[in-house]
Amino acid sequence: MKSFFRMSYPYILWIAVFIVAPMVMILLYALTRGGNNTLTFHFTLENFGRFFSDPDFMRVLWTSLRIAFITTVCCILIGYPAALFIANLSERKQTLMILLMTLPMWINMLLKTYAWRGILMNFDDMGSEIKVFIGMVYDFLPYMIIQIHTAIAKLDPNLLVAASDLGANRWKAFAKVTLPLSVPGIISGVTLVFLPAVSSFVIPKLLGGGNYVLIGTLIENYFLVAGDWNFGSAISLIMALIIIAAMYITRKIDRGAEE
Amino acid sequence: MSETTLTRKREHHFFRSGYLILVLLFIYLPIAYVMLFSFNDSKSMIKFSGFSLRWYEEMINNPDMLESLKYTVIIAVIATVCSTVIGTIAAIGISKARKLIRTIILEVNNLPVLNPDIVTAIGLMLLFLSMKVRRSIVTLTLAHITFCIPYVILSVLPKLRQLDDNVAEAAMDLGATPWKALIKVILPQIYPAILSGALIAFSMSFDDFVISYFTAGMDVQNISMYVYSMKRFNPAVNALSAVIVIVVTVILVLANLIPYLRNKKMNKEEQ
Amino acid sequence: MRKLIEFRNIVKNFDGQIVLKGVNLNIYENEFVTLLGPSGCGKTTLLRILGGFLEQDEGTVIFDGQCIDNVPPYKREINTVFQRYALFPHLNVYENIAFGLRIKKTGEDIISQKVNRMLSLVNLEGYGKRNVTKLSGGQQQRVAIARALVNEPNVLLLDEPLGALDLKLRKEMQRELKRIQQEVGITFIYVTHDQEEALTMSDKIVVMNAGSIEQIGTPLEIYNEPANAYVARFIGESNIVDGIMVSDYKVRVDDKNYECADFGFRPNEPVDVLIRPEDFKVVKPREGVLRGEVKSVVFKGVHYELMVETKTGTSKTVKMHVVTQHDIVNKQAGEKISANDFYVDSDDLINKDMTDQDFISIANAQAWDDQNRDISLTHVRHDIENRPGIYSITFATEKKTEVTVKVYVVHPEYVEDARHNIGISALDFFITADEIMESMAISTDLKTWASAEAWNLQDDSPVSITDVKFDFDPATIQEGTYDITFATQGREYKVETTSAHETGDRVGLSFGPDDIHVMHKEVAEV
Repeated sequence: MKSFFRMSYPYILWIAVFIVAPMVMILLYALTRGGNNTLTFHFTLENFGRFFSDPDFMRVLWTSLRIAFITTVCCILIGYPAALFIANLSERKQTLMILLMTLPMWINMLLKTYAWRGILMNFDDMGSEIKVFIGMVYDFLPYMIIQIHTAIAKLDPNLLVAASDLGANRWKAFAKVTLPLSVPGIISGVTLVFLPAVSSFVIPKLLGGGNYVLIGTLIENYFLVAGDWNFGSAISLIMALIIIAAMYITRKIDRGAEE
Repeated sequence: MSETTLTRKREHHFFRSGYLILVLLFIYLPIAYVMLFSFNDSKSMIKFSGFSLRWYEEMINNPDMLESLKYTVIIAVIATVCSTVIGTIAAIGISKARKLIRTIILEVNNLPVLNPDIVTAIGLMLLFLSMKVRRSIVTLTLAHITFCIPYVILSVLPKLRQLDDNVAEAAMDLGATPWKALIKVILPQIYPAILSGALIAFSMSFDDFVISYFTAGMDVQNISMYVYSMKRFNPAVNALSAVIVIVVTVILVLANLIPYLRNKKMNKEEQ
Repeated sequence: MRKLIEFRNIVKNFDGQIVLKGVNLNIYENEFVTLLGPSGCGKTTLLRILGGFLEQDEGTVIFDGQCIDNVPPYKREINTVFQRYALFPHLNVYENIAFGLRIKKTGEDIISQKVNRMLSLVNLEGYGKRNVTKLSGGQQQRVAIARALVNEPNVLLLDEPLGALDLKLRKEMQRELKRIQQEVGITFIYVTHDQEEALTMSDKIVVMNAGSIEQIGTPLEIYNEPANAYVARFIGESNIVDGIMVSDYKVRVDDKNYECADFGFRPNEPVDVLIRPEDFKVVKPREGVLRGEVKSVVFKGVHYELMVETKTGTSKTVKMHVVTQHDIVNKQAGEKISANDFYVDSDDLINKDMTDQDFISIANAQAWDDQNRDISLTHVRHDIENRPGIYSITFATEKKTEVTVKVYVVHPEYVEDARHNIGISALDFFITADEIMESMAISTDLKTWASAEAWNLQDDSPVSITDVKFDFDPATIQEGTYDITFATQGREYKVETTSAHETGDRVGLSFGPDDIHVMHKEVAEV
């Protein structure tokens, strides 16, 4: 059986070069100052100081988090009833509905966003932020619905029978049984929506117009326009850390809900 | 059951179906909209002024757009083939690894899946730049293979672990070398998972914008990059979208239908 | 017969856990050998080492005169039938069986000829095109056997192949396997934990325990002359008692000498003595070598299985005072309360650190309201001292409904049985007729009410009280004083007989010298 394990050696080499090394690069650039072409590194934390001391950057960070948060909440509010209703259908209809919900996920995100740009031309006086929300919720909603549906569909239908047997009415049974047991689905939905939403920069740019700056846009600018890789790396690192923290908190909440 | 509860039940049912239809409308609205306006006679995205195929003509006569489509397909095919082969081999290796090693490899493997695309993208860009590798279609393809492999592994590995451990042993017991056991026994059992992994890889590569944007050179553009870089709104994109929607739908229907038909045929043969 | 396989001092560890402790075993041509033992005894590990799927840490495997330690599984002339069959789900029955032949690039006509012969050997003619995942367990089993045998191996390994089948099918497949083995005439090495399977099929049984071989022998040898108590207990039903080998052909059990057929022990060596349940003859009490009382009878289909107690255990008799007692009513609060007088032993007062809760349960104190709902007793007052005498104790509820009863503190009275190292104690007690009538498990309740306990005199470990004797009918009991006797397990023998007996019958048991089998004591593992 050992001979089969050897089959993973090429991939171990691959991830060392193309996954681990790039992450090390980001860390290295974020912690150094410009001019790393020689082999001498100047370690510094000034990239981070610069980010946190500038109110403009903090505002961008805040906007990104706010938009990601509102997008996530909207996805839960719209997606939860949809997932619940789908789970109540017959098995064949469920498969069909899930297929219908997932089908558009296979179509290029930029093209779909571009289509929204066309539709939203009909609503000229709509605020750019609302347009961004529509685009974001549209893009992420199917992920949320699928995650919640998976969690609800897994529930034993006898649980609801048992709840009504114990005297719970429809709403009570939902509040006391279905909702708490579907929390893991909501949590994994949140990870699939909030995390990419924080770093998103295509939708804001296409739907919000050029002046709508989010943290993803910031990273893009520092890498591709300003060419300041050190500062760009630092911003990415900050964003990655915020995301890790967010994930940690959601997992904590998840565990808290289980107890 | 009393009259009122029946009515309430019917109302409830009505509400549920209505809600689901609304969600579906929302999800299919942009797709339907572009397909409709791809046949519009005018440049407007607001008013449908008449049926024409002018945007399809425009698309065919737009070399940049066609070239980006060509690159997108070529890269997606190469990335799918490479990532499926590497990923499947890796998954077989990982499934036989000891628990600790398996956990470590899978954690690293998950990084590109969990990381925001932009972090993966700038990481690869920094890697290529510091290695003094000129960004080109080669770096772009390498980047695509890198972010596709994890999805192949995540698709193949669970299927591998479902396999009866003894099945590979049984093959060797009957005289098959480990290599033959792999080809004749393991692969035939996991190929549905390999196919779905390949399908996911293809779609990830086909749809990717962020990672391509940071790792491609000046000389190459995929569809996403082309659309992103367009300065003005161009209805020919609607025609392109419509074509892609139809191709994707056909592929997905086939992917879902073929295993179903094969099963049916096998059942028939047995009888 | 020619020696085919030789295991030499095989040692195997899994993550520091020793699974095989230096196993030596020879297997000959055309034998049906069974490796028998409980799960975790190392039998499957030994089989997998022979198949080439595991490497031993120490030792050598010789196959047909050649060391095969470095031969990979696909080059060994051994085939395996796996525990859950491990059929290839993507191939049909025919292709599963043809797998090994195709690997060897056998010609198509020969494949078809051989596969069809195998299909008829395992009674699956016409099943070639079937999907293996849709076959029944027994059919899958047959395909697995055919798939292995078609390669004409010298040895077939079978790893608990019948484990997943139901009883009836299992019996059928046992016969089938034996027939196939005799027909193809090769060595079968069969792993199982089922002693009955081993006894019916094998030419040779290897009994394993905790990584070592306990005994190798024919089914008859293993059954009639087990090497030690472990083997005796694992194979068939058995009575195993401590004895002393007085001299050759003479063994002493429970102070009585018996003639036996065994010899070659040290004088006065402590031994295990085995008598199989079916070797006893049930006779009239005075005709028996042993006399006793039938404690239980279980009908087993063809015969009855009796438990006969030939010697009672350690016992203690106490008095049960059945009294009438009136509930005390507190009209104001709408509550009622009741409790019984009780005995308590002065040692328990000190050693057990008795709490109010303990007193409440011994006195069976309880309170309830108009609607018969239980009310908790919140106050307990008493003047109990740690000296024999009569004291009083008062139980009360929150609403001051109270009852006072007498507490008799007495010196502890043990019965100590030095020969069996057992002590037993129990106390007289007061109880109402109602409580006895309401009892759902009277023996257990009597033990609780009398605080009956038994223990090992050497290490104070608890010994269970298996016998509660009384001569009243719980359903019709009247006030008065009754004797209750509590006793520990005496000497009991399991006896198989075809004649019907009833619990309580006095019987004699007879057996001859040949029915006794004396074994060396197992050496305790360190």
